[in-house]
Amino acid sequence: MDPNSHNWICVDTETYLCDYLDDTLPSEARIQLESHATSCAGCASMVAGVSGLVRQLQQLEPLAEPAQLSSAILDATLGPRRAKSRWRHWFDWLSPLSRPRFAYGALSVLLTVIVSSQALGLQWHKSAAATLNPVNLVHTANRQAHQVYARGAKVFSDLRLVYEIQTRLQPEDEIEPIPEPPPVAAPGGAVVPGQEKQQKLLNISTRKHRIRNEASNVSAGQLEGSSA
Amino acid sequence: MLEPEVQLVQQCLQGNGLAWERLVQLHSRRIFNICYRFTSSRHEAEDLTQEVFLRVYRTLGSYRAESGSCATWMTSVTRNLLIDHYRRTKRDRITDSMEDAPQVENKVAPGRRPDQAALDTELGERVQQALGRISPDLREAVILRDLQGLEYAEIQRILEVPEGTVKSRISRGRIELAKHLEEMGLRPS
Repeated sequence: MDPNSHNWICVDTETYLCDYLDDTLPSEARIQLESHATSCAGCASMVAGVSGLVRQLQQLEPLAEPAQLSSAILDATLGPRRAKSRWRHWFDWLSPLSRPRFAYGALSVLLTVIVSSQALGLQWHKSAAATLNPVNLVHTANRQAHQVYARGAKVFSDLRLVYEIQTRLQPEDEIEPIPEPPPVAAPGGAVVPGQEKQQKLLNISTRKHRIRNEASNVSAGQLEGSSA
Repeated sequence: MLEPEVQLVQQCLQGNGLAWERLVQLHSRRIFNICYRFTSSRHEAEDLTQEVFLRVYRTLGSYRAESGSCATWMTSVTRNLLIDHYRRTKRDRITDSMEDAPQVENKVAPGRRPDQAALDTELGERVQQALGRISPDLREAVILRDLQGLEYAEIQRILEVPEGTVKSRISRGRIELAKHLEEMGLRPS
């Protein structure tokens, strides 16, 4: 129904009252409604009463919800939640300690302290004051440092000794004897001076090599026999 | 990019308890107010609000963001429960009406000036009594429009009636409410 196309009657006031109060009624209809209200006491009273009521209703503050409503809803939907007792609130600040990050950090700090105290030679069973005295600390650290240096030097010299022994043994063990050409007689069948000594050394080396080969063959045979 | 409310609903559907807690905190006061304005009883309103959230919790998967905001959907659930409750308790109310009129409790929200709070309390009590005297169809329309401030389109979705019917119910509801208030000696100005 078009509010502009007919003569305004009381029913129209009720029909278009929402639009009139929302200020969305076309201007012509608004004029018609207002002119009708000037001549109709019932409509005028109704418009004034309803517009006042709407203002008052919109100003009403919403009620506060009961204190336990949200928790009751959460209990009913998510299940009863464990209520914190009052004394537990006092220990809330300790809750970060239970996190893994903190536990790893604490463990690494503890290990560092143990390693450092071992390096400094701290003895915790003695009195803390004597142990933590700076003079004693320096003295102990110095002694520890000297001991560490002496141990290091000893290990180094041992290693050097082993290396030297290995180096000396290695050429004889590993280098294959190179067969030398038979001594060449000097023209006329005469032996060159010094060649006789070389020939002796070569014979010794060849004999040694043969004995070692035989020994290894014998040990291999023993191993085969034991495994069988 | 999803709207925060839709994200919240999705988190709830994924089993996020904190998201559900947030949703309850966001809407519990509004739902409680609708229930209270409709029933005029804090106790009943509290029970109904819990019932609304239980139903919302069970049927949250059926919410579709395309069909409107989560608030509108929850209001629609509330309205359906209120109508069910109204029908269920109709016989009790007829019996009760022969006895004394129900006491209206009206605790306003904290933080108001005392004089304004007193005026609000008096007006609230009268409005509550007057709301109890009009038919449920008109009452729910007035509550949704004037006390909850919803748009006509939202009310149309909630009540599932054409916009013309929504406006007509609101107008008639307001007129009847104003008449009842006038009878109580409160002339809206």
